[in-house]
Amino acid sequence: MAIISLSYKYLERLTGTDRETILKRIPMIGSEIERIEEDHVDVEFFPNRPDLFSVEGAARAMRGFLGIETGLPKYSVKPSGIKFTIDPKLADIRPCLGSAIIRNVSFDDESILSVMALQEALHWAVGRGRSKVAIGIHDLDTVIPPFHYTASPRSRKFVPLDFTKELTLEGILAEHPKGRDYAKIVKDFPLFPLITDDEDHVCSFPPIINGERTRVTTKTRNILLDVTGTDQRAVNVAANIICTAMAEAGATIESVEINGVAAPDLAPTERTVSVRECCDLVGVELTARQMAGLLEKMRFGAQPVGTDRVRVQVPCYRADIMHDWDLFEDVAIAYGYENFDVQIPPTFSIGKEHMATTVAGQVRTILSGLGYLEMMPFTLTNERVLYDYLQRPRSPHVLHLMHPISEEYTVVRTEILPLLLEMLQVNRHRELPQRIFATGDVVADLLTTQHLAAASTHPAADFSESYAHADAVLRELGITYTVRESNDDAFIDGRRADIIISGKKVGIFGEVHPAVLAAFELEHPVVAFELDIRAVPGYPSH
Amino acid sequence: MAELTLNEKRLLAALAEVKKTDAEHLASVLNATPEAVVQWGHLAEDKGLAKVERITKKSFEYTEEGRKYLKNGLPEAQLYKKIKSKPDSKIAEFQEDPAFKIGFGQLRKNGLVKVTENGTIQLCEVAVRGDDYIPDKDKGHAGSIERDEASLKNPSDKDPKTKEFIKRGILAESETVRYAISITPAGLALVHQGLDLREEIGTLTRDQILSGAWKTASLRRYDIHKLPKTVYPGKSHPYQRLIDEMRQILLEMGFTEMHGGIVQSAFWNFDALFQPQDHPAREMQDTFYLKEEAPLPEGWECLRDMHEHGGNTSSTGWGGKWNPDKAKQCVLRTHTTSLSIQYLVNHPEPPVKAFCIGRVYRREAIDPTHTPEFEQLEGIVMDKGVTFRHLLGFLKEFYQRMGFEDVRFRPGFFPYTEPSVEPEIYVDGLGWVEMGGAGIFRQEVTAPWGVTYPVLAWGLGVSRVAMFRLGLKDLRQLYQSDLEWIRNSPVHAPAKVGRKA
Repeated sequence: MAIISLSYKYLERLTGTDRETILKRIPMIGSEIERIEEDHVDVEFFPNRPDLFSVEGAARAMRGFLGIETGLPKYSVKPSGIKFTIDPKLADIRPCLGSAIIRNVSFDDESILSVMALQEALHWAVGRGRSKVAIGIHDLDTVIPPFHYTASPRSRKFVPLDFTKELTLEGILAEHPKGRDYAKIVKDFPLFPLITDDEDHVCSFPPIINGERTRVTTKTRNILLDVTGTDQRAVNVAANIICTAMAEAGATIESVEINGVAAPDLAPTERTVSVRECCDLVGVELTARQMAGLLEKMRFGAQPVGTDRVRVQVPCYRADIMHDWDLFEDVAIAYGYENFDVQIPPTFSIGKEHMATTVAGQVRTILSGLGYLEMMPFTLTNERVLYDYLQRPRSPHVLHLMHPISEEYTVVRTEILPLLLEMLQVNRHRELPQRIFATGDVVADLLTTQHLAAASTHPAADFSESYAHADAVLRELGITYTVRESNDDAFIDGRRADIIISGKKVGIFGEVHPAVLAAFELEHPVVAFELDIRAVPGYPSH
Repeated sequence: MAELTLNEKRLLAALAEVKKTDAEHLASVLNATPEAVVQWGHLAEDKGLAKVERITKKSFEYTEEGRKYLKNGLPEAQLYKKIKSKPDSKIAEFQEDPAFKIGFGQLRKNGLVKVTENGTIQLCEVAVRGDDYIPDKDKGHAGSIERDEASLKNPSDKDPKTKEFIKRGILAESETVRYAISITPAGLALVHQGLDLREEIGTLTRDQILSGAWKTASLRRYDIHKLPKTVYPGKSHPYQRLIDEMRQILLEMGFTEMHGGIVQSAFWNFDALFQPQDHPAREMQDTFYLKEEAPLPEGWECLRDMHEHGGNTSSTGWGGKWNPDKAKQCVLRTHTTSLSIQYLVNHPEPPVKAFCIGRVYRREAIDPTHTPEFEQLEGIVMDKGVTFRHLLGFLKEFYQRMGFEDVRFRPGFFPYTEPSVEPEIYVDGLGWVEMGGAGIFRQEVTAPWGVTYPVLAWGLGVSRVAMFRLGLKDLRQLYQSDLEWIRNSPVHAPAKVGRKA
């Protein structure tokens, strides 16, 4: 999650209001306050609003939300005359490039860290961990334009950031900490992306690391921005967010010519939306003028067109506006979620329980009546518990998690009884008798079905008890069944029976085998039964 | 005063006539064992109605040896008579005599015989005179052969000789205890007031009920201040009861319950919900993937178009290429919203009100506040004319019925809803707590399936509500429960979560 540190002093200067007002209102624009500190507040913004991942961006939004400055923020871009070329060989490697010249910046140590934090947050939210988008910021005055984005041999050498010696590109992937972190993005390509200046100085090896030569310091006054990636829309958004944040801080933005096209383009996009549609979605009656006013609070440009249309200019940094409804949500946020006169949905309908839960409820009634307590064990388990401990063969139908979190949870249960035995193990110091049951999902292959299992342990537990209780459950569930000698090694030979319906096994009951008891560290006899609930007449199949 | 049992009453009634008697006598009168009578006496004594005295008495019995001596005389007396009848005999003449060994020892100890240097045995002066002997070095009591014989015939605990005989194994001492029970003035007064001496009944029998004997019977009264044995009924799990409470609310509101599989294709779990294929939540570190694949449903091409360019809606889509192979991968459902969208596909006409509470799976390590599987309360309302305002109305109503009086709403973000909202409830001691997510399904989600009316949707945390309502600090208690906790969790557990001051 993107947690952004907002310094009160800077935030107050940028918004023109006091910290109390900001802290009170900032959650209602769509954020969560993580920590309130002496000199700053840590706020979590949603991943669809990377434009809020800087103090400048958050202040811009809050000025609108608080009514201090509303409407579309305007950013002018002058051509710098600088060109940037793209090597066609990058087409299958990392084809997209965005860039800008940012002049008249003034950095102190804190603001350098702040820009780096924005860069990292964008790498996470827009860049998908740099694979989709990566950003480089360079001291423009250390390099000579024009600039070249090329596909370079892996043996090319330069001094990466935080290093004093030259490394090859391959060497960087092996030796530089950032190289090791992000090697997986490029390692399979024969050539690596590289940005150089006209004298062949390396600016950066995207998406891995910049060159030490172009390091940004407190003396830096002018910046070269490079944004590379695999998706042009995402690349542009990242560049726009950086440029507009820097412009908010007082810098001027100049464009770079990439293959004949000027970048960045900080002009808004336009959408014309319906007032009726907005009101019908949000549930608040608004005029076109009111709706435009609310959109302006969210920093859109907005003009009513007749009574049912609003023309909207979407700022270049708002990547999340994909659909008209995205604008309607901003109308609702500007209106204030706390101001809604909430109402229960008027739709009349008659409730209906699903038969699977009806039957589960009946199972609970029957087993409670027999004195059993319900358990709700996990559906995730492992094959030792599920099969080995019960002396059962491992099922070919069990589903394996591809990346389990621990050895305890590697498969989805195909039976419930093993989990109940585990519950008895957990509770073995508790008073006897113990009678427990569970009902719920089991999965074989891709099919989810429901089972019930019950276990009883006390010094006098015997086959007759399991038979009597299984019989009671089956009778109460309306199941007609026969029994047959079982060969399930989880139970004692001569004290076990399969439950049969139309020649098919649907369950088992009997006395649990002493070797199974030993595996679960149980000291008293356990009798148990398990039933496939599909045996209930009329039970739904999915 | 505690109630008298029938037996106590009978005892008092019997005592009222004799005032004081022993237990044996009472036992025969009351047709009981003396031990029982003493027990009743003690019960009555505790109430100040009777007095029980313990009286002990010693008695003596002859041992086998003692019975022989009683018949033949003490060995010393036998030997004494023989020596007296054959004066100046050599000691050797008596040594074969069975009485010699003990008799000679006793006589010599008491200074009644002596042996001369030439081996002649002689009676001492005392013995000749028939005077009382005085034993050497206080080894016994003074006596005489004649009186010793008398002592043997009449043992008494006052006779020191009796003690000596006990020591010599001639006599055995035994103690008998008897009880004397008397009635106190209070007891007597009670008897004079009149006692109900009808037979007391513990367990009412079928015969007594059928015959009408119960009408005249006296049913034994129980001491209600004695605590009962603790027994526990079988019952459903406290968490299940809470889930059922939530289900009940939704059913009362007219929702239809959905049900579906744990295993879903990425298509239904992610793609159908407009999650871009490179969305972080889809990555291996957050989702349990399975190696199995599921075929794409009919109409999947519409969804591809929606992802790539927004289909026929006002959406731009995510751009890029949508990969059908990624959508075929199977996962353990990360939310039950995968069931909602499939329900809508099967029920595209309004109105639809549906819900379910089911397990969902996230790739999280287990700790007190995280488990890899947990419940989610999922629901949708699709109808002409429903709006965001109604969504908020539903959420508020639901939480208030669950006992959370104060509900507020913050903007939220979910890839498949717009507008989105995060409901929060106020919990004493914690403040505002986020409870899940809700919103209106994006057109990108509904349009591919021909669903044209707004769909209000929510996925709410269930275990969190359980923690507040059940007062748990550790989520694991829900899934790996201590039996004692279940035994001691009352079935009726109304909400006590407090409200904002």
